[in-house]
Amino acid sequence: MSTLLLIDDEEGIRKVLSLSLRKDGYQVLAAENGEKGLGAFRQNLPPIVLTDIKMPGIDGIEVLKRVKEIAPDTEVIVITGHGDIELAIQSLQLGASDFITKPVSDEALSIALKRAEQKLEMKRRLKEYTHDLESMVKAATEELRRRYEFEDKLIQSSIDGIVATNEKGSVVIFNEGASRIFGYSRLEAIRRMDIDVLYPTEIAREIKEGLYGKKYGEEHIFRWKGINVKAKDGQEMPVRFSGAILYEKEEVVGSVGFLQDIREIKRLEQELIESERLAAIGQTVAGLAHCVKNILYGLKGGVYVVNTALKSNNPEQLNTGWDMVNRNIGKVSDLVMDLLNYSKEREPDYQRCFLNTIAGEVCDLMELAAQEAGVKIIRNFDQAIGEVTLDPKGIHRCVLNLVSNAIDACRFDLDRKKDCVVEVKTALEDKDTVVIEVSDNGCGMDEEVKNKIFTSFFSTKGGAGTGLGLLVTQKIIKEHGGTITVESEPGKGSTFAIRLPLRENV
Amino acid sequence: MGKKVLVVDDDADVRTFVTTVVETNGYTPIVATNGEEAMAKVRGDKPDLIVLDVLMPRESGIRMYRELKTDDTLKTIPVVILSGIAKRTFLRSQAALTEFGGQAVPEPAAYLEKPTEPEELAGTIKKILG
Repeated sequence: MSTLLLIDDEEGIRKVLSLSLRKDGYQVLAAENGEKGLGAFRQNLPPIVLTDIKMPGIDGIEVLKRVKEIAPDTEVIVITGHGDIELAIQSLQLGASDFITKPVSDEALSIALKRAEQKLEMKRRLKEYTHDLESMVKAATEELRRRYEFEDKLIQSSIDGIVATNEKGSVVIFNEGASRIFGYSRLEAIRRMDIDVLYPTEIAREIKEGLYGKKYGEEHIFRWKGINVKAKDGQEMPVRFSGAILYEKEEVVGSVGFLQDIREIKRLEQELIESERLAAIGQTVAGLAHCVKNILYGLKGGVYVVNTALKSNNPEQLNTGWDMVNRNIGKVSDLVMDLLNYSKEREPDYQRCFLNTIAGEVCDLMELAAQEAGVKIIRNFDQAIGEVTLDPKGIHRCVLNLVSNAIDACRFDLDRKKDCVVEVKTALEDKDTVVIEVSDNGCGMDEEVKNKIFTSFFSTKGGAGTGLGLLVTQKIIKEHGGTITVESEPGKGSTFAIRLPLRENV
Repeated sequence: MGKKVLVVDDDADVRTFVTTVVETNGYTPIVATNGEEAMAKVRGDKPDLIVLDVLMPRESGIRMYRELKTDDTLKTIPVVILSGIAKRTFLRSQAALTEFGGQAVPEPAAYLEKPTEPEELAGTIKKILG
């Protein structure tokens, strides 16, 4: 139901028109003069105003002006008197939507109102569409901006270099990764360089052929080729390159290349190895702490025994105590040397020496411990092995470790009736290789233990082992360019075999 | 002849240390290097106190402790555990064994964690033997 404001100074006309309009379904506000009419207008803002022109005080023209000031979209219909064509034209010029002459016929009024309604409807619709359109464009623009920013971030944050060109081969995208590799800034590259400058000749040529040459339209993908690109300062940068031609609906729109800095990869690999090694050493601190505790105990105990012996003047006890101290000082040295050996890179100290002598010395050293454990050491040395070039201290360390482990394996064997034997064997395998084998018939190892012994700080000896022994042994063997292998069966025993390449005088 | 103390430990240094403490304080030491040897000496020499290590190859101290405490003729002998493992770990292992084995086993007369000061060890032994 629309509201309509009717302004006319003649009461009769007001009454008649109001009735007629109400019948048509309007809500009618009536005013007897221009002033009251404007007041009513301001208060109600009706969409349609029907006003007489000739009125005392504020006339219809003035009302029209004011109404249009307040709400320009209001439809104003003026009622003119007979012969007031001038005023009618003026009011049309001022924005009135129509004029009707007195006496007002129902038909004329009806038509004028209809026209006014139509105009209002059209204005409303237009406003709606405009508003909708505006907000849709705003939303789309926002979305576009966000997508663009996101993609830009993606490209920038990639560690790999990303270089994209347009269909002519001119650089349009050049991310931070690419800057790092090439040394050019984005500003220097974008729209200033083309692929000839950046890529090696063959790659640039292939891409160009794909972009606009003979190979236009072909599937064109390079996959992780190792190439060298020239950086700004002339340096050759080794990278892995992967690239493609970009199409949109069968048309070439450009190319993209991904570059992986191999130096970065190599550096990360190095870092990883280093930190793994440090972590492994860290892992062992707990085990070492235990070991060190035991050694300290041995030292303190030894000192205590020495003091007691001095107090009671007991030379035998004094010897015992002093032995304890010495032995444990030895243990500390060994432990520290093991750790130092493991944690740094060493070149073997090659010397001419006799392998069998070294093996013999180890057996001599371990004789006492073997006897105490009820173990027999058997020596099986190949006399054909002459002078060889090795690091004697390193190899001594390795053989000592293996023999000590072998004796421990026997001590830990639950089979009490077994005669435990450790065999140390040297042999010339072929003209280039010498083999040292240490085997025992002790407790042996299962698959799980076998897999762990060379790869982590792992000890089966409870409190007595540091987990370092085999790792150091393995390291020394590797530094010699040799190999170490193990065969083992639970309950039956183990055999460790070291193979070393024979070298000429180094 | 003073009271007899049986010292059980696979580590020679520990054995030397403990026997020196024992001797210095007027007791007579007996040594064993593993659980098997120790059980033989317990039955043979009937010591007044046993100083027992836990982490040993062959028969571990844990098993030997249970053997002692479930044998009516031996369970009265006070046992001092001298070990590298923490007391609560030892007690937990006993609790687990009780669950499996059935019989509950009393706590040792004393539990000392290595390394101990000679005075502490001597004091503990004296308190038990008098």
